[in-house]
Parts: sequence; structure tokens; C-alpha cells
Amino acid sequence: MVHALTEARRVLRPDGLLLDVRPAAVHRRVHLVHGAETRLLGVMRERFLDERASDRAVAAVLRSGLFTRVSRSAYPCNRVARRFVDFRAWLEGFAALQDLPSHAWLLRRVERALEGVSGPARIVVSAPVDLWVLRNGLR
Amino acid sequence: MAMTVDPERSEVRALRKVGGWRGVRVLEIGCGDGRLTLRLARMGARVEAIDPDASLVRAARRALPLQHADRVRYRVAGAHRLPSGDGSFDRVVFSWSL
Repeated sequence: MVHALTEARRVLRPDGLLLDVRPAAVHRRVHLVHGAETRLLGVMRERFLDERASDRAVAAVLRSGLFTRVSRSAYPCNRVARRFVDFRAWLEGFAALQDLPSHAWLLRRVERALEGVSGPARIVVSAPVDLWVLRNGLR
Repeated sequence: MAMTVDPERSEVRALRKVGGWRGVRVLEIGCGDGRLTLRLARMGARVEAIDPDASLVRAARRALPLQHADRVRYRVAGAHRLPSGDGSFDRVVFSWSL
């Protein structure tokens, strides 16, 4: 990751900006939205190994003076499914990619919740996204 | 139909706070299917977008609207050896990829 940041610095103009946009190390919350009602169905169990490694890489390039910190902020990011099958495909793919423990409990909970509502509903996965802004160091 | 990411466009508001994007030369690393690429292009940036996954880059190329074709170029490449010269870009964006 430090190598990727160093390579990014090479292609940046001397005072150019590097933006690192990625999900924060905060457990995703899964809601069911039906009409005006929003119901929390569960909180995911991520490990955040990649997120912490990325944070360490950013800290390393700041310490080394390759970049200077401009800002760090976060914004909310929702991922919305209108069908259970789409949510299931995303969750199963994400869990496999991240080597997470089984989230079958969450799938069952969402499926049951959908069975209990009539009319269209949305499954919303919420988590903040971190936005780091770094400036290419001038030295 | 897959899941929709950030339908509220919070991402665009956050990126606008960084500064103007019109005419800015951007390298986007980890563009995936081009979701963020198109948002950057719509803000006026000139984007070179790379991803190591050739199938995602093909999908991004297919989904590129004609009106942004002159401002977006997709390439298959990884972050560890960027296919660009020194100092080529005003901004580099790691798109959920660091």
C-alpha cells in the first residue's frame, strides 16, 4: 500500500492532491425501509483488516513527508437493494471477499422482515466513507 | 438489478468540498465499473481510470455515455506500476482501492 501511494505521488504534479476514498472502519448497519418506517435489522461483523492496513500506509507516507495532510472527513454512504436476491448476492460476495464469518443470520432476519411487510420495501446498508485529502510533498 | 450505491449523492457533495473539478486531470485508481468515474466526469474532470480487473474495465467502457467519451479513458492497470508519466495528474483518487 505504501508502494501504491509512492507510485501515485510520482504521477502527481508537485502540489497535486491525493484523495483516498474508502469505507470507514465502522460496522455496516442494515435497515429495512418501508413507507415512512425505518427499522434496524442488524449490524454486520466485519474485521477491518484492510481498512487498518490502509490507515497505517497513509500514516507512514505522512510521517515520511511524501505527503502532507490537508483534511480527513467522512460522509454517509448507503447501498440500497429493492430485492432480497440483490442484497443476498451482495452480502455473500462481500463476506467471501472479506473472509467474514457467516452472515446467514442476517439474511434470515432480512428475509423474515420482508415477509412481514406488504408493498415495496428497500434494504439499506449504511456506513460512513472516509475521505482523506493529502498534498504531494514539495521536497 | 444490483444494489445502488449512494443514491443520495453524498459522495459528490464531499468531493466538491475538496475543490473545483472542471478541467482537472484526474487519475482514478480502482475504478471498477466506473461508478465514481462518471461522477467525476460529470463534475468536469478529465479522468484516466484504471483497474486491474479487465472484465470490470470492459463493463465500464460499455457503460460510458457518449457525452463523456472525450473526458474519460479506461485502462487495465494496477496501482503498483502506473502507466503514466511523472507529474501527469492534478489529482489522484484511490476509489475504495487503497
